Amino acid sequence: MKILAIMKKELQSFFFSPIAYIVFSSFLAIVGYLFWVILVTSKVATLEPMLYNAAFILLLASPVLTMRLVSEEKKSKTIELLLTSPISPFEIIAGKFLACFVLYLVLILLTLQYPLILSWYSTDFDVGPIYSGYFGLVLLGAAYISLGLFASTLTENQIIAAMISFGGLMLFWIFGWAKHAFESDFGEFLGKLSLFDRYAEFLRGIVDSGNVIFFVVFTMTWLFLATRVLESDRWR
Amino acid sequence: MIEMQGITKYYDNFRALNNISLKVEKGEILGLLGPNGAGKTTAMRILTCFLPATSGTASVAGFDVFEDSLEVRRRIGYLPETPPLYPEMTVKSYLNFIGEIRELPARHRLERIGYVAERIGLTENIGRVIGTLSKGYRQRVGLAQALLHNPEVLILDEPTVGLDPNQIIEIRGLIKDLAKDHTIVLSTHILPEVSMTCSRVVIISEGDIVAVDSVTNLEKNATASPAWKIILKPAVGQNWRETIDKFDGASICDIKELTDAFEFTLKLSRSERFDDLFGQMTGGGAMFREISPIRATLEDIFLKLTSTEEGKEAA
Repeated sequence: MKILAIMKKELQSFFFSPIAYIVFSSFLAIVGYLFWVILVTSKVATLEPMLYNAAFILLLASPVLTMRLVSEEKKSKTIELLLTSPISPFEIIAGKFLACFVLYLVLILLTLQYPLILSWYSTDFDVGPIYSGYFGLVLLGAAYISLGLFASTLTENQIIAAMISFGGLMLFWIFGWAKHAFESDFGEFLGKLSLFDRYAEFLRGIVDSGNVIFFVVFTMTWLFLATRVLESDRWR
Repeated sequence: MIEMQGITKYYDNFRALNNISLKVEKGEILGLLGPNGAGKTTAMRILTCFLPATSGTASVAGFDVFEDSLEVRRRIGYLPETPPLYPEMTVKSYLNFIGEIRELPARHRLERIGYVAERIGLTENIGRVIGTLSKGYRQRVGLAQALLHNPEVLILDEPTVGLDPNQIIEIRGLIKDLAKDHTIVLSTHILPEVSMTCSRVVIISEGDIVAVDSVTNLEKNATASPAWKIILKPAVGQNWRETIDKFDGASICDIKELTDAFEFTLKLSRSERFDDLFGQMTGGGAMFREISPIRATLEDIFLKLTSTEEGKEAA
């Protein structure tokens, strides 16, 4: 399986370079700090603030993970190797996406300590929103990575790739803010595009199939576009 | 094995290749020769399906590079100008990755990596991280990558660049050896490399093919009449100039007077007559200190074919 070969290679490079470790440690430090502060001040055994914070920090961190995926191959000309091998652009993109997604899942698994701490010390702990919240976080991660991967196919400069994906994600995050300003169908439409609005429903314990489909379609769209960009590099 | 027909390639308005047609037979080593920017790399990128041609068709092993790109890519090994390496990987894990994407079955992979590493002289460094290797070794890893899946066609863009003289000799030997079971196209701007390794040469200049021939033919054709560089010590009182001037079809030029001898270039209309002239001269008591035939080297041909335009402008 060539997709797995690409995925394995990407995971290797993540762990051979310090990027994965730095993202992991800073993410865990910030989330852990916020978890502690919120818990000791509010004394409420809920994971909602932690999951909300985690999603926002991951929005900042995921461009750092995705920026090198294709940009670096372009810069170091290894893309020439991949594109002249019997492997399709789809397989390249899929492998890279999966590698980053696996990394993201590991990162999320590491935050499972917080619900465990809560369930250990609290009485009457509602696990429903935790399951749905984590499910939402996984879907959100797929969306982050796909957009970041797309941004990375556009340029050989990693900083530009990071900035494009950060800007793009931020825009989709804040689309919902205008919802109340317009108070019309247009406002509703913007709200529907918002990653945050949809993610917030998962945090409240709602798993709406519409939201699930939105994240899946969002992810597929960016992966499809990334594949097309990679293919089009040949036409130029 | 490889065929290009009327290939033209434009980058925006810049014409990189102009109506290139060429054919490479199985087992042949074809050298693409040309100054920097002549279009060698572009031609290779078209053959490896990395870039499409603006017009024209190309095929490798009977498969069209555009229509059946996947089949073509299965049959080629390609060493680009910059060896495509991942500096954080070890040589072994890199070659294993190449084996995976080049569809080398898992059961043959280790064996094949060992064999290729052995052949290219990488065995001792197989566990090292690529980023710590010297340029010469990186070039070897690049070459190993192209060979790994035992492709029918090898396309090598400047395979000996960055190697030290010993390594260059080794790699050239290796390339000649590989021609037994591979068809090879290599590009270079180092001329002796072509004379040593290639059976046929294509000289490209500014996107046009200016010559296609075997190295020996090219060299032969470039020499108009046979010539020798001679250092002659005439006998005392021997009128050697007169002997040569009277000899039918002989002419000399570039005469230099050394302490007790003369150095000059001798041209004859027919080379068989050299023996007669030699006999006449030595009969008169002259001693020959040096006789060396002057052949047009590939350098001369190359300069003649590729630098006409610049020559005019400079003048």
